[in-house]
Amino acid sequence: MRGLFLLLVLVSFNVLSQDMSTVSGTVTNGRNGETVIGAKVYIPSIRKGTITNNYGFYSLTVPSGVYEVEFRVTGMKTEKDSIDLTSDVLYDKEIGSDTQLIDEVVVTAKGDDNTKSAQLGQIDLDIDEIKTIPAFMGEVDIIKTIQLLPGVSSAAEGGQGFYVRGGGPDQNLVLLDEAVVYNAAHLFGFFSVFNADAVKSVSLIKGGMPANFGGRMSSVLEVNMNEGNYKHLKIKGGIGAISSRFTVEAPIKKDRGSFIVSGRRTYIDLIMRAAIPSTSPFAGSSYYFYDLNLKLNYRLSKKDKIYLSSYYGKDEFRFGNAEDDFDVAMPWGNAIAAFRWNHIFNGRLFMNVSGTFTDYLFSFGSKQDEFRFELKSGIRDWGSKVDFTYLPGQRHKLKWGAHYTYHTFTPTSVSASQEDVVFDTGLAQKLFSHESALYFLDEFDITDKLRVNAGLRYSMFHHVGPFKRYIKGDISTPDSIITYNEGDLIQFYHGLEPRVSMRWMLPDASSIKAGYSYNYQYVHLTSLSAVSLPTDIWFPTTSIAKPQVGWQGSVGYFRNFLKNQYETSVEVYYKDMNNLIEYKEGALPSDNVNDNTDNLLTFGKGWSYGIEFFVRRTYGNLTGWIGYTWSKTERVFETLNNGEPFPAKYDRRHDFSAVMTYKLNDRWTFSSAFIYATGNTLTLPTSWYVQDQDLLFTYGQRNSTRMAPYHRLDVSAILHSKPYQQKIDPTTGESMQVKKRFKSNWVFSIYNVYNRANPYFLYVDNDGDFLDGNFEISVKQVTLFPIIPSITWNFEF
Amino acid sequence: MMRYTTYFAAICSVLLISTGCTKEVEIDIPGHVEQLVIDGVIETGQPPIVLISKSKEVYAPTDLNAFLTGFVSGATVTVSDGTNTVELEEICSGTLTQAQQELFAQAIGITPSEIANYDLCAYLSLDPDIFGQVGKTYSLNVEFEGETYTAETRILNPTPLDAVWWKAEDDAPNHGYSWCTLSDPANQFDSYKWEVKRMASDADGNPEDDNFTETYNPIFNDEFFDGLTFDFFYENPFAYSSTLPENERWLFEYEDTVVIKLSKMDRNVYEFMEKKYLQLATAGNPFATPTNIPTNISGGALGIWAGYSPSFDTLICVP
Repeated sequence: MRGLFLLLVLVSFNVLSQDMSTVSGTVTNGRNGETVIGAKVYIPSIRKGTITNNYGFYSLTVPSGVYEVEFRVTGMKTEKDSIDLTSDVLYDKEIGSDTQLIDEVVVTAKGDDNTKSAQLGQIDLDIDEIKTIPAFMGEVDIIKTIQLLPGVSSAAEGGQGFYVRGGGPDQNLVLLDEAVVYNAAHLFGFFSVFNADAVKSVSLIKGGMPANFGGRMSSVLEVNMNEGNYKHLKIKGGIGAISSRFTVEAPIKKDRGSFIVSGRRTYIDLIMRAAIPSTSPFAGSSYYFYDLNLKLNYRLSKKDKIYLSSYYGKDEFRFGNAEDDFDVAMPWGNAIAAFRWNHIFNGRLFMNVSGTFTDYLFSFGSKQDEFRFELKSGIRDWGSKVDFTYLPGQRHKLKWGAHYTYHTFTPTSVSASQEDVVFDTGLAQKLFSHESALYFLDEFDITDKLRVNAGLRYSMFHHVGPFKRYIKGDISTPDSIITYNEGDLIQFYHGLEPRVSMRWMLPDASSIKAGYSYNYQYVHLTSLSAVSLPTDIWFPTTSIAKPQVGWQGSVGYFRNFLKNQYETSVEVYYKDMNNLIEYKEGALPSDNVNDNTDNLLTFGKGWSYGIEFFVRRTYGNLTGWIGYTWSKTERVFETLNNGEPFPAKYDRRHDFSAVMTYKLNDRWTFSSAFIYATGNTLTLPTSWYVQDQDLLFTYGQRNSTRMAPYHRLDVSAILHSKPYQQKIDPTTGESMQVKKRFKSNWVFSIYNVYNRANPYFLYVDNDGDFLDGNFEISVKQVTLFPIIPSITWNFEF
Repeated sequence: MMRYTTYFAAICSVLLISTGCTKEVEIDIPGHVEQLVIDGVIETGQPPIVLISKSKEVYAPTDLNAFLTGFVSGATVTVSDGTNTVELEEICSGTLTQAQQELFAQAIGITPSEIANYDLCAYLSLDPDIFGQVGKTYSLNVEFEGETYTAETRILNPTPLDAVWWKAEDDAPNHGYSWCTLSDPANQFDSYKWEVKRMASDADGNPEDDNFTETYNPIFNDEFFDGLTFDFFYENPFAYSSTLPENERWLFEYEDTVVIKLSKMDRNVYEFMEKKYLQLATAGNPFATPTNIPTNISGGALGIWAGYSPSFDTLICVP
């Protein structure tokens, strides 16, 4: 070990001792001025390159000299510039231009990053690629697209909760411009909060999480919003089957600053209003959601840039029954904001400072006659972080930083009244905590073949007062309460989280990668149902609910074919998870009146292992991927299922998906998506008995019943308007083709083409009466979505 | 007290089942284990009655015959109040007097006229020494097929209602809910069960109701109103027919006479009842967790040994 360390130091010293120069800067898209994430900056003569980070920044240190440097962006013509690198150079690059004709563009393949990077289990999706994939009811959906990737599955048809390599939906760190999103779903999970018109890029890390990410055990989903057009005013929108979108983007000051505002609203409520007659007892029942994205960016100088991003979205559900004077109102939604400042100290040192705010609130209010009941649940975060990237030489890429979040959790706050009498529902329970972390990582090319990304994260969690701890007595012992005052330290957890991944290059554009990550997670999601719902409650670590702790190990073989036109990979993984939570049998969230939510929970552990196969084509007219996953996911809780292991509710032995997009010509693009997955597990009654003339059920082994397999084919066709128009050149009098400013397309899609009746859930139904001799018990399957055609019209100018 | 989760689960379920396509499927549900079901009750001033049956596999026949022949005989059942220990007799319906048949019918939940068609057996004792008394704890011991099952329940002090009255609804002047005032004892766990029985006679001159009927959501505890005095109302469980005008459903009619039975129970019985009604409301619903109903019977049996201390009020529905 000591010898290896010495070798590393010597290699580093050898590299640093050469006469080196650094080229650094920002790559922007010439069509709109936005920074480009993942652009490749490459010097072919010495076969050295790098890619831009999430802010479009790059830095490449090479032996001093004059080089021809290539700038590659997927889908755009590669550009080559000669750069004098006899000294450090700050070189901003604008690639492509708005005047470039489409048929001039030589579309480049995505490159060989998938084999060369040390990162395992990372998949980057281009938003334009996502937009071509068939969408449910025409709503382009990021979450549903990533559910098509190997190792990622959905909880139920149309659901937004996603499960990565056997981890729960709470174990995914979902970031929108670096702010945490706790509930990324609209309409009980059927639609994503991410409006595709406002999204620039999507990246999923499902294994080998680097040390700059933390707080979750399974995956990182990074969603970056568009910055807005730095060149000119641009308007785009769409009219779909259930919602419409409208986006405006424009420069604040040309090439210096820009903004984007994007809004979306459904009109399900209008349809419901028309469908439910005013005389119906259900008149007034309605549902709709809306969301609004806003982002401002400004380059203060060549070295400083600031961003302000925000999201506000809300679902409004109302259900009424005039007959019973019964009314339910259920709003929920997210408010998110992030302020960021990028600063380039020099060509080798980059800094990002962020301040974030996240607020998620769910409310349930009901009224029946004079009885009123209200329940609120939510979480509010104030966060800040500072991250540095330092590139001291060709072989090292160092990152370090500090993260801090102040959490306020409101697991369940209940109030109730009957006319003038206000019931004692206990104090509104709030939990306050500080979560912080320090990290350091180095992506280090030990040799040309061996690259290591090694990092260490040290995380801490302080649960602080005010807080009341209810200690529940049994029948003969009264409850007791411990009261903590504001700022009192109630519980402290901390731990080291080592992360390491490595890549060994092999001949023929192939590599082997291995990774290990150890993670602490200080938040939990309590869920009663088999699908993700807004009623799921976020809950922090406490003295009773310990932090989730887990590790994942994975190994993969990556190989590209035909000059990187085809990317293939095989990855195996094993994941171990501890301190998972479930509700105790029969417990309900509302049982925490004069009690703590964690007293209702029980704790256990889980594990998952599997193998994933992935073939992807990113080049040419035919693109897409085929993914297959074999996996097994189990849980064990001492107080559930008699302490025996049971399959997780999203345990799926087989998961297959095939996504194809074919661009026939400039006007027509066709695509399809096929999915096959082993049916979800669920717990159904195994026996019945009668007590006091009521038929009651007993449930056997947890999740011992498996639904029928899920499979579905979706197709879509996109018809683009003609991209050119004929005009007469006023100077020459000749006819010429001019690119149209107004562009539009029609998206025709069919969901579930062969009308497969996929199970959404099963339930045991009993009907009739014993005494009448017509009593029956049967198992019923509910299918939500039959074949659904939809049309969407999109435009931009 | 309303349970929001039940509401939410019910709403989601109704929406999905009504908007989705539902069909019957045959699916393997492994894991059935036959268990003894003990359904025992003792009330203030009443004899202990115990019914014993066995649980059935979910796809087992569910006709009346399957239900009524599911009761087991041959068990040795004893009840003790700490002083008196009495072995209950296995009594079959064919050997009972009409009064006993009525009591028996009430325990099983069928009408006395129907009980005559079946020779059903139950375990009870008519020894007055073992009739339920307030403040006593009653132990149940069942021996069957070499296994022993035991349970305890306590008959608590009753909490009578302060007042009961009827109030007409604005949109239905001849119909209204039953209203009452309850003073809940402070600083203790209290749980209640609400039942009613109509006192009118039918066309043949017989009582309209033989048994007390539980209202919708009949179980509640004092977690929200410990020590408070407050007014609340309950609906008429007999007036739910869709043939009734909408504004008269769930309401008592002017000049109805009903007896309200408000029973107290111990915490274990309450927890059984609470989970029972939760399961009845949410069974099979994917938006709710599967609920196994707890029992206060040890030895691996299902069911409950329940002690109740009822108080009765007569409500005459006039302003």
